[in-house]
Amino acid sequence: MSESIPVLSIIMLSPFVGALILSIEPQRSKNIIRITTLLFSFISLIGSLYLFINYDQALGGFQYIEILPLAPSLGITYFLAVDGISVTLVLLTAIILVTGVFASWEIPQRSKEFFILLLLLSTGVFGVFVSLDLFIFFLFYELAVLPMYLLIGIWGSSTKIKAKGIFSRAISSTGLGSKEYGAMKLTLYLLFGSAFILVGILAIYSYSGLETFNYIKLNENLLSPSLQKWIFFLFYFGFGTLAGVWPLHTWSPDGHASAPTAVSMMHAGVLMKLGAYGIIRLGMGLLPDAAVSFSFLIGAIAVINIVYGAFGAMWQKDLKYVVAYSSVSHMGIVMLGAATLNEMGLNGSVLQMFSHGIMTGLLFALVGLIYEKAHTRDISKMGGFAKRMPAIATFFLIGSLTSLGLPGLSGFVAELLVFLGAWASPSPWWLIPAVFGVFLTAVYMLRVNKWIFFGKSNDSTPLHDAHGFEWLAPIILCVILILVGIYPKLLLDTIDVGVVEFLQNFH
Amino acid sequence: MIMIPNMFMPISLEIIIITGILVIFFLDLFLSKRKNQIISTLTLAFLIITFVFSFSGLVHGSIFSNTFVSDPFAITLKQIFILATALAVLGSINHTEIKLLNREGEYYQLLLFTLLGMMITVSSRELLLLFLGFELMSIPLYILSAFSKENIKSAEGAIKIFLFGTVSSALLLLGIGIFFAATGTTSWMPDYHINGLTDPLAVLALIILLCGFGFKIAAFPFQFWVPDTYEAAPTPFVAFLSVAPKITGFGILFRFLFEALGPLVTKWSIYALWISALTMIVGNLLALPQRNIKRLLAYSGIAHIGYILLGLASGTKFGIEMSIFYFIAYLFANMGAFLVAEAVNRSSGSDNLDSFTNLWKRSSFLSISMLVFILSLGGIPFVIGFWAKLYIFLAAAKSGHLLIVLLGALMTVVALFYYLNVARIMYIDKGGNEDLKKVEVPLNLSLSIGISAILVVALGLYPRFVIDIAKKAMSTFV
Repeated sequence: MSESIPVLSIIMLSPFVGALILSIEPQRSKNIIRITTLLFSFISLIGSLYLFINYDQALGGFQYIEILPLAPSLGITYFLAVDGISVTLVLLTAIILVTGVFASWEIPQRSKEFFILLLLLSTGVFGVFVSLDLFIFFLFYELAVLPMYLLIGIWGSSTKIKAKGIFSRAISSTGLGSKEYGAMKLTLYLLFGSAFILVGILAIYSYSGLETFNYIKLNENLLSPSLQKWIFFLFYFGFGTLAGVWPLHTWSPDGHASAPTAVSMMHAGVLMKLGAYGIIRLGMGLLPDAAVSFSFLIGAIAVINIVYGAFGAMWQKDLKYVVAYSSVSHMGIVMLGAATLNEMGLNGSVLQMFSHGIMTGLLFALVGLIYEKAHTRDISKMGGFAKRMPAIATFFLIGSLTSLGLPGLSGFVAELLVFLGAWASPSPWWLIPAVFGVFLTAVYMLRVNKWIFFGKSNDSTPLHDAHGFEWLAPIILCVILILVGIYPKLLLDTIDVGVVEFLQNFH
Repeated sequence: MIMIPNMFMPISLEIIIITGILVIFFLDLFLSKRKNQIISTLTLAFLIITFVFSFSGLVHGSIFSNTFVSDPFAITLKQIFILATALAVLGSINHTEIKLLNREGEYYQLLLFTLLGMMITVSSRELLLLFLGFELMSIPLYILSAFSKENIKSAEGAIKIFLFGTVSSALLLLGIGIFFAATGTTSWMPDYHINGLTDPLAVLALIILLCGFGFKIAAFPFQFWVPDTYEAAPTPFVAFLSVAPKITGFGILFRFLFEALGPLVTKWSIYALWISALTMIVGNLLALPQRNIKRLLAYSGIAHIGYILLGLASGTKFGIEMSIFYFIAYLFANMGAFLVAEAVNRSSGSDNLDSFTNLWKRSSFLSISMLVFILSLGGIPFVIGFWAKLYIFLAAAKSGHLLIVLLGALMTVVALFYYLNVARIMYIDKGGNEDLKKVEVPLNLSLSIGISAILVVALGLYPRFVIDIAKKAMSTFV
């Protein structure tokens, strides 16, 4: 409990300060811009590593507390703290931020604005994970949503999708496939979700009668079960939109596919976890009775996520859409773990958040590289790339194997924990479609690998492998995947402390 | 300083403004060279004097048998009006249509007259005085709306505001008459219970009066005049029109509903909620198809009034405080947005959204300011509009009206669609090559836009400042 250095504020505000400094730098010096961004992201990374290593597992609970009253009459405080669960997620965010900066090293135009927006986005995300005051939580959540629009709209990539069927004229007039469409859809969907979250937060505020937004105090004074039920529904609906819960996930494929690489990494890797974190922390933490009564439903929808996402991914011809749908599918595993409401399942859920975050970051980074080299996202135009891009092929294969849960990589540990938790839960029948989903993941992932990297090559144009800074992001991420896969204790000890404390809500 | 007898101190702000009007009137008759600079500077000077003087404790008190009261609420509102007028004057300097036929003197005088009317209105605790101030405010607005003589649409817009306005004044008079017949009084005190308020005749009077007031704040279903008038009138004036009369209307509603009809709060708050909800819906939905920036901002302004009414409808002191907060946020963001539209118009000659294409390249100052204003209007964090929206929702939630908070939040999402559209046009759309010439922004506009933008961001980072202002305004209300 280091009260002297406000570590959490440093981690969270370092990107913000970086953005401010960037805004006064001249556009021309591209290197200074990139290095400044890297510097401030590194500060966050070092901060989160420090946080993670120094988290006192014996003590447990919320540590690194920082409290500053902002509007005492309304009950709003600047209240930051982390427990075992959030400290892992802060680490994830920092890793994805740094690797995202590496992956965006060669942004062609307006790099200054790009990095400013990326850093603002990161501040918002960090803020959500460390806030324990509901008002501040919502503030940072909203902060994270808006830069998305500009990031995707300006630096994203469009693709031509032909709408088919009787509504094809109407559909194509919306601009389907263009980056503006993806950007607007994503932003509006997420803001739509945030409307429900806001009402939920205000409902808890007004019904608790405590005149405070303080999570700890609200946690001690729970509402009546009937009230909890519909507020939980609001939270599930709102956060579920962000988490990609079926059927509110439809922003995700279009959004991720149109987004530039670093934004997809941050979004699929971290923001979707924000949604799941919101459901767990706010939904289940503050409304435990409702969570117990809804647990079957959450689990069932999670299983639908897994299978639907997998089938969706199988069908895709555009590489980015494959990865996007696989994210939807893996978020299903996260939600399944959360729905089990037991120690193993929740451990698996948080670990899956971390593992999938890294993995999807890796996959999107590689997809970005492939797109740069081959200038296409269409799988049918690819083939035999392994010969000319052996490194990228290897990294992609490692990512895919994590995705389908090969032992030795982090995905296996996470998925196994979730499944064991599901088996120990009141509705073990969830397991059958869930494991089927794993099988489907293997199918589409291996097929995609085959189509892109192996087999006959269509093109004779030279394709380069990764060079220079482009190596850094995939290498770092792969190493983490392997490390956590072989020695998951690194993360699980801390996560377990957080989970055990969290489950005390549910005696 | 001019010697104002102690008895007249509460009305001293108005006296200063009247002095200003007279000075400008005479100068207008005699000056011919550099008229524009002198008169506009003088107007600004009087506004600043009034603003500074309003902070002194001397202005408190009431006069004319307590029918004209200068309490913190009124003073705060007057300060807001003065800020709005100052920004409008700053934006109007060197405006071609206003300078046409050497009419600037009249323009500034009319602005000051409207300001005077607004100031009287929010200070009045008596219906006839209120009516006086109301008319004094409205009639210059009609004339100012018609100032763009060369534009045929201007006549249409002016006729609309004129007709709607005079009908609402007539309704107001009718309501006052019936109110008097029902209750035997036209004035009220905060802690004085008016007899006969549950009389059906009084209820009728109430409804008619609310119709009259509703026009000025452009609430549903009285908002029809707004888009056409905004489109046609000179843009700096529209900036003023979009903010100041609405705040006046709100002030009237507060005085009347809270002070006069305080005990009946549960009865009228349900109607206020309905009007608020409908206004939010209508304003936001009708803004979606707009291709003209002024019409878009007009409808978005209607939607914002819906949010402010939500604060009013929550029926608590906190709700009013948050409405005042929202007004301050709305003032700078909205006027700023209109002034940016004016700047773009001066360069491109059109108010169409397409003239904003590639603005990020043509003028980074304008595009960033517009982005800041859009973010504030849309309610995105770290600019003051976010806090305003959130606090209004908080006020409504505290009174238990959660469903309408959900509606408000969902309508915000709709609003963000058209706000982000503007951002998209500025930053993302490619447009043709002829859209790439730089936009020259005259000094007065860049000053006013800059001040507004800085305030929107600064107050957003430190909202406590505005909360304190709002709380101070309501400090004498129980």
